[in-house]
Amino acid sequence: MPVLELKNVSKSYTNKKVISDVSFSVNSGEIFGLLGPNGAGKTTLLRMFLDIIKPDSGAINVFGGTLDPDSKDRIGYLPEERGLYKKSKVIELLTYLAQLKGIPKKQALENAGNVLQSVGMYDQKDKKVDELSKGMQQKIQFLASIIHNPDFIIVDEPFSGLDPVNTKLIKSILLKHKKAGKTIVLSTHMMEQAQTLCDRILMINEGRVVLYDTVESIRREHRNNSVILEFKGEMEALDGLDSVQRIAEHETFVELFLKDGKDTQSLLGELVRRVEVLRFEQSIPSLNEIFIGIVESGTDE
Amino acid sequence: MNKSLTVARHEFLNTIKRKEFLFMTFVFPLFFILLMFGSSLLFATTFNQDHTIGYIDRTDSFVLPSKNVMDLPAMGPVEATNHTIDFVKYTDTVEAREDIRSGKLAAYVIIPLDYLKTGNIELYSSKRGMNTATMEISSELSETIITTLLNDKVDEDTLNRVMDPVNIKEFNIDATGESREKGISEILSEFGLPFITGMLLFISIFSASGYLLRGVAEEKENKVIEVLLSSLTPMELLTGKIVGLGMVGLMQITIWMSVGTMGAIYVLPILVKSSLLLLALVYFVLGFLVYASIMAGVGAISGSLQESQQFAGIFTFVAIAPIMFMQILITKPDGFISIALSMFPLTSPVAMMGRIAATDVPLYQIAASILILVVSVYFVIVLSARLFRTGILMYGKRPNIGEIIRFMRSG
Repeated sequence: MPVLELKNVSKSYTNKKVISDVSFSVNSGEIFGLLGPNGAGKTTLLRMFLDIIKPDSGAINVFGGTLDPDSKDRIGYLPEERGLYKKSKVIELLTYLAQLKGIPKKQALENAGNVLQSVGMYDQKDKKVDELSKGMQQKIQFLASIIHNPDFIIVDEPFSGLDPVNTKLIKSILLKHKKAGKTIVLSTHMMEQAQTLCDRILMINEGRVVLYDTVESIRREHRNNSVILEFKGEMEALDGLDSVQRIAEHETFVELFLKDGKDTQSLLGELVRRVEVLRFEQSIPSLNEIFIGIVESGTDE
Repeated sequence: MNKSLTVARHEFLNTIKRKEFLFMTFVFPLFFILLMFGSSLLFATTFNQDHTIGYIDRTDSFVLPSKNVMDLPAMGPVEATNHTIDFVKYTDTVEAREDIRSGKLAAYVIIPLDYLKTGNIELYSSKRGMNTATMEISSELSETIITTLLNDKVDEDTLNRVMDPVNIKEFNIDATGESREKGISEILSEFGLPFITGMLLFISIFSASGYLLRGVAEEKENKVIEVLLSSLTPMELLTGKIVGLGMVGLMQITIWMSVGTMGAIYVLPILVKSSLLLLALVYFVLGFLVYASIMAGVGAISGSLQESQQFAGIFTFVAIAPIMFMQILITKPDGFISIALSMFPLTSPVAMMGRIAATDVPLYQIAASILILVVSVYFVIVLSARLFRTGILMYGKRPNIGEIIRFMRSG
């Protein structure tokens, strides 16, 4: 049973269509990436999952039904627009937010202590939020989304504004939750993070779905039958290769585009006779490259 | 509903810890009491001094008494006291002036030759501190002059009537036709109480709904709202806030009322009927609900705290109307304006309290105004919840009138 399912969801503001006929589902236990450029409609989609905004048409099912108060309590949400009560004490704030998720006060207080400990911020529990650094506030906000141990975690740009150490920390917490069988939707435009974390992704551009598959098959599907080569020798040595139709020169390597019907094995055979091969790998585009390609060309498919 | 209670508790506890709340609730009435006590104390002490007044009588026909004992009645914390005014005869202005400079005299008066024709008497004093006693000197002089002028010409009763000609005693005729003398406490209850109750009602409705406006606008500004809405519905959030802050307002008005009642009993014997207090409570709750819901809606559609306060100013203006019209409410409690103000939901709580204190308002009118309030509360809450839901996530830009109306319809 999918944790989240959207069927033909559309939404317009005033006269602009921000989401057009989007359908997809998120499976239990996976990390699902929601990708797209700024203004693609990611945040609108997330808000619709949580019934903060209602779709104009289409259906959204969470945990196999429409969103009710109980299922809301099983969701943790980190909005992109970060916001905390600046004058509240860290521990009190976290306890309050946990209580709003239906956790009894005593348990909420205990959870708050635990999550603070997990990111090494227990010492700061009695500080006021505005006494903390930006990065620390970010972490508190993230903790607020997992304090009630939700089954379904929705995080919008969880790494923005974090240093590499904290990015790693948040990543490891997300992976720990995945291991525990939780489902995670990660909305971001940081493709490297999505590529390493996500099992499947949905890419939207201008409110439309442009990609929807596992990261692996998307990358395989978008490879352009080329090989990355680093070698010792002169460029001229590569002239007239049998299986190559075109060569693109980059700073430290060249990219060889194979002719139809030729494979990497025969190319490698040709190459070893001509130059000393330092690196030879099939070029699989990163999500980043695919993303840029799609956005720049307007729409794909 | 459970979550609304959590929100209500949180809002209540957080608000009563705010400095503004503590100030408004405790320091403000304390300040008010100090002002009242202070002014009566000041009044008492300035009059409490013994003065020596010189006089030069050019007509040579008056003899002013040397020791005048002035009695002051007890007033609040100040006990009844007396002090004396001494009149000393001088023949020469130079000497009198000298004595003023040396401090021996507080002032001197000159009764000019043509006094009988003009009635003018000149009072000379150093600038310091004499002004307050002018009235006393004047009344003391009048008494002596009247006695001197009329002595042997009229009998004693006539003399007394000339000095104190009109002495009004007020009577109330009640429903049974019996007449009863009006005491000072009744006069004060009639005129002071509506004003004070109205003022308190106004201030507590506004400070409580002001917290709501602030809370909503701040949550919108610092974006907490999205986290909250991922946990509960806009209606639950709004209900929780209104209940929590309503409790704050109730607590505030209770503290004020008890301090005020205790203070009033101490200073003046004011009659406060418990049925009146109950009605004040009903009007507080309903009035607060109307304004709180409006404020929540306003907070939700404005872009920033500052902007929302500007919007709210319009409603403050409407709400203060009955206080501005208090004169009319008290003097013409059954006139058209008074009845209209006590029916219109935005002004009825304060206006009706004013009318009730001033006259016997027909029961059906009270019932009607409460009914109108209840119905308005319902509609305002529904509309505000819709505005809240749609407006709350719009950052930076303010919706135009058309959009606001559409929010209200769709929600």
